[in-house]
Amino acid sequence: MNYSYWDEQRGKIKSKKGGWRIGEKVECHGLDMMVDVVGKLTYMQLVILNATGRLASKNMADWFESIHICLSWPDSRIWCNRVGSLGGSAGTNAVALVCAGVLAADSTSYGPRTIMSGIDLITRAHRSVGSGINIEDFVATEIKNMGGKPHLMGYARPIVKGDERVVVLEKNSKKLGFEQGEHLKLAYKIEAILDRNYGESMNMNGYISAFVSDQNFSAMEIYRICSVMVSSGVAACGVDSADRINGSFAPLHVEDIIYTGIPSRSIS
Amino acid sequence: MSSPSENVRSREENFTKRLATKITAEVPSGNNPYLVEQVRYHGYDQLELMDTCEVSDVVYLLFRGELPSDYERELFRRLCIALINPGMRHPATQASVTAGVGKTMPVNVLPIALSIYGGDFDGAADVEKAMRLYRRLSRKPASDTAQAIEQNEIEAMPGFGTLYGDIDQYANSLFKNIMEHAGDSKLLNWVSELNGLLQPSGIGLLKTGVCAAVLAELGFQPRQGCGLMQLLAAPGLLAHGVEYANKPLTSMLFESDDCYEIQYEPGTDHGVHQPEDSLEGAV
Repeated sequence: MNYSYWDEQRGKIKSKKGGWRIGEKVECHGLDMMVDVVGKLTYMQLVILNATGRLASKNMADWFESIHICLSWPDSRIWCNRVGSLGGSAGTNAVALVCAGVLAADSTSYGPRTIMSGIDLITRAHRSVGSGINIEDFVATEIKNMGGKPHLMGYARPIVKGDERVVVLEKNSKKLGFEQGEHLKLAYKIEAILDRNYGESMNMNGYISAFVSDQNFSAMEIYRICSVMVSSGVAACGVDSADRINGSFAPLHVEDIIYTGIPSRSIS
Repeated sequence: MSSPSENVRSREENFTKRLATKITAEVPSGNNPYLVEQVRYHGYDQLELMDTCEVSDVVYLLFRGELPSDYERELFRRLCIALINPGMRHPATQASVTAGVGKTMPVNVLPIALSIYGGDFDGAADVEKAMRLYRRLSRKPASDTAQAIEQNEIEAMPGFGTLYGDIDQYANSLFKNIMEHAGDSKLLNWVSELNGLLQPSGIGLLKTGVCAAVLAELGFQPRQGCGLMQLLAAPGLLAHGVEYANKPLTSMLFESDDCYEIQYEPGTDHGVHQPEDSLEGAV
């Protein structure tokens, strides 16, 4: 019988996280949520606990909050935010437009998924250097594998060169008492190489990826913690357009669209 | 300046000022530039399509750019029906039902179900990968691929596998129905042959693979595959969700405390990792 595993799950729920004992308590990783959590842990500590099973320090949680703030810009041109703005403009309800923007940010170009790629890069670099490979050679190989473009994940930000968020996060990390670890030091070495040869710098993804690798978070843990990290910026843009006349955001004339397809034809 | 990151300047990239499409041509109305008086899809007037075509023909047209031939129409029509309803037990349908019975806003029910249907367990996640692989590998005999799988040279074959521990016989029935119309299709016959070669090892074609095989045969682009499988499953997912929209909460499963087991990971303190981050330190 090959389905015995599913039979064991049938008709019951097994949780590794916790649950609600009706009339008794709500349990989360052994904590009584109404006694041990409310008023004692920050919301971001609970986010990390629920997503990873890690009970992070308040400073660690505050650090995660800061990266969420850095991805909550209320600029409607940013892709996920634009989805939110279009939702507001279309009269979509706030919950749906925020969810739509969050889904949009599950992308291979930006958002939490790309941090997994950033962590992959910096951890491979760390392993390579640990095995005796020169970091210059590592970077050269990566660039070669990308067809000669210095678009390493975590470096060479789209739209602009430079990233003001890195500077702020550096200061905040220091304020919260975090020291530079091996991955972050290595990330700065990669940045120096790219800056010297291509005028490119580390972006926020590169900083986060190296920092969390020093804190022993896995790529999947970060993806899960940060799954809705753009939500506030999306909400800002969505409610802005929702509070205007329908269709106010990016209205297009029929003739604004260039048709490049097959000319008019008939079925018959 | 401590970091090169601090110097933020635009790349001066040249973003387009206008959107472009090969799919939809609109003719503006005379008195309002936002309104249309005629709409054409890949050249065909929408009103003529309404007079002449089945809905599956127009779906095909939107993605492929041409109306289907008789062979293509029949193959796509069969696929549309094959995938139209993942069934009540599928996680995506259960999510739809949960949303329905939970009195979720009606416009949210289908997006919820489709999101869950985007997973890789009997869902749409792997269609693109499967299409790419079938297109590439079918240039060589199916026996080459089967041998590579047996020798662990291919770790996983998207669209093939087991469902709840066994070969999904119903997916194979759907595929058999489609194959009755497949004629001498090289790609579909390759998939069918591979399916036959793998089954003795306990691996068979899944619905994801059925979808990928037919879409690849019809010339759809792999990038279109995942979304198309979601699209084709949408009617059944929504039907079950709204079936529950007027029912009481008690008509949906809500396991009793006796059936809710909290099992923290062995070797951990209530599943909390990193014991150095103790509660005392965290609070």
